[in-house]
Amino acid sequence: MTTLSDNDGGGLRAAARREIQRGRDFVDETEPEALVTVTVAAVALLAAFVGFLTVSSLTAIPFVVFLVASGYGWFRHQELTARVLTLTTTISTILILGLILVFIFVEAWPTVEYATVTVFGIPLPGLRLFVEARWSPVTPPLRYSMVPMIHGTVLVTIIATAVAAPLGVAAALFLSEIAPRTVRELVKPGVEILAGIPSIVYGFIGFTILSPWASDQFDIVGQGTYLFVGVVVGLMALPTVVSVAEDALNSVPESMKSGSLALGTTDWQTMTSITLPAAFSGVSAAVLLGVGRAIGETMAATVMLRGSPGLTEPLYNVFYGNDTLTSLIAANYGDADGLQMSALFVAGVILFITVLFLSIGSQYIEARMQQKLGGAE
Amino acid sequence: MAGAVESSLVSEDTSGTEAVAAGVVGIAAILFGISLGSMFELLSITDPIAGIPMVALLGTLLTLLGLGVIGFGLGSRFGYVATDPRPSAGLVASVAFSGIWFAVGGLVASQSFGLGTVGWVAVAFVTGGLAFAGTALPREDIGSTLPVGVFAVFVGVVFLTGVIGPSWVWDLGWEQQASFNAEFSIPVITAFCSLLVSWASAKAYGGFGARGRHVGAYLLVYLNALSIIAVLFLLVAFTVFKGLPGLFNGLTFGLGSGPETTLFGFTFAWPFAWPFVMNGVALLNDVNGVLPAIVGTIWLVIGAVVFAVPLGVGAAVFITEYADRGRFTQVVEVATNGLWSTPSIVFGLFGLAFLVPRLGNGKSLLAGMLTLGFMLLPLVVITSREAMLAVPDEYRDASAALGVTKWQTIRSVVLPASLPGIVTGIILGVGRIAGETAPILLTMSGSVAPPGSQTVDVIGGFSFTSSPPFVSNPELLQATSALPYQLYSLITAGVGQSSNIANIEQFRWATALILLVVVLSFYAVGIATRYYFRRKLQHE
Amino acid sequence: MSKTSQTTEDETKRTDQPLEVTAGETREQTQDEWTDYDFESQAKFSVEDLDVYYGDDHALKGVSMEIPENSVTALIGPSGCGKSTFLRCLNRMNDRISAARIDGSVELDGEEIYQDGVNLVELRKRVGMVFQSPNPFPKSIRDNISYGPRKHGDLETGFLSNLLGRSDEDEVDELVERSLSQAALWDEVEDRLDDNALGLSGGQQQRLCIARALATDPEVLLMDEPASALDPIATSKIEDLVHELSEDYTVVIVTHNMQQAARISDQTAVFLTGGELVEYGDTDQIFEDPESQRVEDYISGKFG
Repeated sequence: MTTLSDNDGGGLRAAARREIQRGRDFVDETEPEALVTVTVAAVALLAAFVGFLTVSSLTAIPFVVFLVASGYGWFRHQELTARVLTLTTTISTILILGLILVFIFVEAWPTVEYATVTVFGIPLPGLRLFVEARWSPVTPPLRYSMVPMIHGTVLVTIIATAVAAPLGVAAALFLSEIAPRTVRELVKPGVEILAGIPSIVYGFIGFTILSPWASDQFDIVGQGTYLFVGVVVGLMALPTVVSVAEDALNSVPESMKSGSLALGTTDWQTMTSITLPAAFSGVSAAVLLGVGRAIGETMAATVMLRGSPGLTEPLYNVFYGNDTLTSLIAANYGDADGLQMSALFVAGVILFITVLFLSIGSQYIEARMQQKLGGAE
Repeated sequence: MAGAVESSLVSEDTSGTEAVAAGVVGIAAILFGISLGSMFELLSITDPIAGIPMVALLGTLLTLLGLGVIGFGLGSRFGYVATDPRPSAGLVASVAFSGIWFAVGGLVASQSFGLGTVGWVAVAFVTGGLAFAGTALPREDIGSTLPVGVFAVFVGVVFLTGVIGPSWVWDLGWEQQASFNAEFSIPVITAFCSLLVSWASAKAYGGFGARGRHVGAYLLVYLNALSIIAVLFLLVAFTVFKGLPGLFNGLTFGLGSGPETTLFGFTFAWPFAWPFVMNGVALLNDVNGVLPAIVGTIWLVIGAVVFAVPLGVGAAVFITEYADRGRFTQVVEVATNGLWSTPSIVFGLFGLAFLVPRLGNGKSLLAGMLTLGFMLLPLVVITSREAMLAVPDEYRDASAALGVTKWQTIRSVVLPASLPGIVTGIILGVGRIAGETAPILLTMSGSVAPPGSQTVDVIGGFSFTSSPPFVSNPELLQATSALPYQLYSLITAGVGQSSNIANIEQFRWATALILLVVVLSFYAVGIATRYYFRRKLQHE
Repeated sequence: MSKTSQTTEDETKRTDQPLEVTAGETREQTQDEWTDYDFESQAKFSVEDLDVYYGDDHALKGVSMEIPENSVTALIGPSGCGKSTFLRCLNRMNDRISAARIDGSVELDGEEIYQDGVNLVELRKRVGMVFQSPNPFPKSIRDNISYGPRKHGDLETGFLSNLLGRSDEDEVDELVERSLSQAALWDEVEDRLDDNALGLSGGQQQRLCIARALATDPEVLLMDEPASALDPIATSKIEDLVHELSEDYTVVIVTHNMQQAARISDQTAVFLTGGELVEYGDTDQIFEDPESQRVEDYISGKFG
């Protein structure tokens, strides 16, 4: 955190000049043959990527050139080749995030454009997706409102968070502060295994056991309730909350906890007055990540919900379940095309952006906690 | 100053109180058990227990518990019991109790007396406010017992008088229908009451004050941990119980009893026949199986690992070892963490839009592999980076001081030292993607119940062609099945599509079990690896 | 072990000497000596035959000693000799370490602290502690000081007590001023009581921790090398403070700085490697004319 960036002080142009100078020095210092090899490899990879993007059948040729060039470089100039190859992999990782963003946006655009509403003479693309509540992909007028699905996702997420956040934080407290060593070593893998159970298995159990039971208990017609999808999704998000929150609690220095205990406080007072407040940002980052998991959870919602987009009546009726953003995609991708397919991508864009913001938010919070506790040392 | 008032280190003998408190907690635990049992329909609330109607029994016990708790509070207040209470029960308890009594007041006013919205809200505020005052104002021993005790007695009386009896129903009157009936409400209310009462008596057991709060809170925290473990155990045990019959259906041992397999031109017969994992689905099969899905899952995992591990480890090496800590590494970190939390269905959409049109223009195994590879990539980067950061800088400095180049240092010092972490991360990541359904749903889904002949044979599928790209493998470009997808399609499939399967219920559970076994064994191996390396590290 | 018993026997011959050196088997003999030794005041702590094990590691071997009331007792010795371990036994902070096992007896005012049913909260209220490196809570200075009394229920603050008109804000102010003045910190932080304590300098943080311990009104103050992380000026402030505190409190201080021990303590106990208490007596006597050759070597800097 301390060394944020070189160009914070100097200004962009100076930084650019420095970079160019560094590049020149690098070229001057390196053997020409090695330079040629990695350049060939890089250009070939770029060509292969362009070929793949344009669906060219010639994609394989530059790719083979890349393999040969980097193979040659590996034997003759390992130092430089390794460096360039690892740089390439890093760029690919960022590129994938960029590609996801671009592709789902491009695919989503037709529906966004279709749903343009003109307000005071200004066309606002996509506005109708959020101001109407009608999802009607077959009977005209064709409407692809996201409101019912957002409503479903919000309900499920709220219920899931209500389950996962308190239970998860309490379990994290138990694991990091209370449990004896042996118990911790048994329970921690247990929590991880809970994280490992595939969501479709949760969905299957929810579908075959929980949904019929709920319909019976609450005299509901048909099956599928936001309430129990939320409970199942909350159970799935629980391990994320537990492990991240436990890390945060563990990072509170032991000296602070001993300091409190030595003043004659109980363990519980130390936890609530010292450990939890000191780890507050880390714990909230854990909850945010759990919320992100809950929003993105697909299969349990898909198999447990009814798959008929619409609002519930009244809006807080959690004993009925229509569709969430995720289940809309999973349930309709098969027979959708054209605008409806594009509408599914709109749902994907909403999910992607929401969860990305949650992720960045929780990273920011965690970085701040590191800074704060770092100052305490 | 020092030694002015010396209080004894060991508290006075309170074994009598403690025994009573423990007894109350015990009865509460029994009540909790009964209510859990009837919630899951192991017990029926209409059946009598030992000749007493269930509801009456619950009501009596709750009333007794409530009286017991009130007794504690009064006993402590008037000095019959040695305790160490605070002047007030505290904000958390006050808010919680006022919430409970707000609900009680509101429900009684609207349901029993039929008041309108304004009426019940007013009543609810009055009861809630009273509860707040009753908790916050008196000394802690009264404040944290009286509202709980009165609540338990109230519920007990409601049960005893039959206001809420076995045939009670509260129709919420919502358009899409839903109602609370006695079968659900009575156990839930009882369980809630017994939790509250246990908490209050645990507090009394600790003598109120700091120690009492500590005991009360620990009770709840332990209960929470216990129930999470119980849920985990139940989930796994239930799946195993339901899945085992289907899984081992038709299992026979004996030389040559299994199907013949040709491997590297050498043909042999398996010494056992395990139809569920060796067969596909076909009309003439005695026992249908999920062989194509198992093989599909294996190839998916292999493909994803081959794609993601070199990329991920490479990226981790670059940002940890080569790049200066700055904007660039920050961007990479944010990008990988963002990728890691991206919902799996979004990866599926991306695969559908990006990969499917470019790989033979149809759903294919290769598209599925790459999509799962994209999902695995951020995890590999994150765990590899963590493992590399954990390698002490002294190692690098020592190596650099010997005049070894940077890459040599990475290869001979950093990578070996971080290998355990990387391997563990990869195994856990593989466990995760092996169970993923959503991405492959959109990129490689095949038929609902594939026959054994549709098992992919990637190795045998390679062939050379004269036109670019010179190598082709139709197997890779075909849609196939995988275990999670198979389970999903079995759940959603109509009757016609799976008519070949005789006992569909058993088949589903067996599929769920084998999926669970595959995924959890990755996790078990991953956790065991980590444990092993950690032990080794500690002993060195 | 045999070498130690040798030393012990040598010393036990001179029965008029006011010191006790113990190693398990000779405990009874040395105990007789204690009765002869006339401390200025009565014993606050009597430790008998205390053994501490961390797993397989025998960290403290059969230590017995009496710590007199309202005086400063210094524990010195090379690092790893068990002096900090011994200190942490006096308020049972070693209970935090799950691998630690403790045998023997420690009595506070004649009451055994290692028996069933001991209220650790009560014990630690009476026996305060200051740690090696300053560990203020990430809260305001005021909240740091009032933390102990608030958690003990002696002072009421917060939303609910404000609401009920029971808030003890005035008492808190009084307590904060009194404790900070006792710790010689009041003048420096008077006008920034609501700032985060982590913003103070190291020396100020350590005095804040002392003030925080004093605020709970303890009888004993345990200090674990409180000046080891501080510069000379801050160190001398802490030393002055310790000296003043000994009028009202029993102070037990661990230090690796022998000059410091000589300056501030009334009694000194010397621990040497292996977790043994080798010599214990009046500070002047220990530094001028130690009984044991090993202690003399240690004090004159020949090893350690």
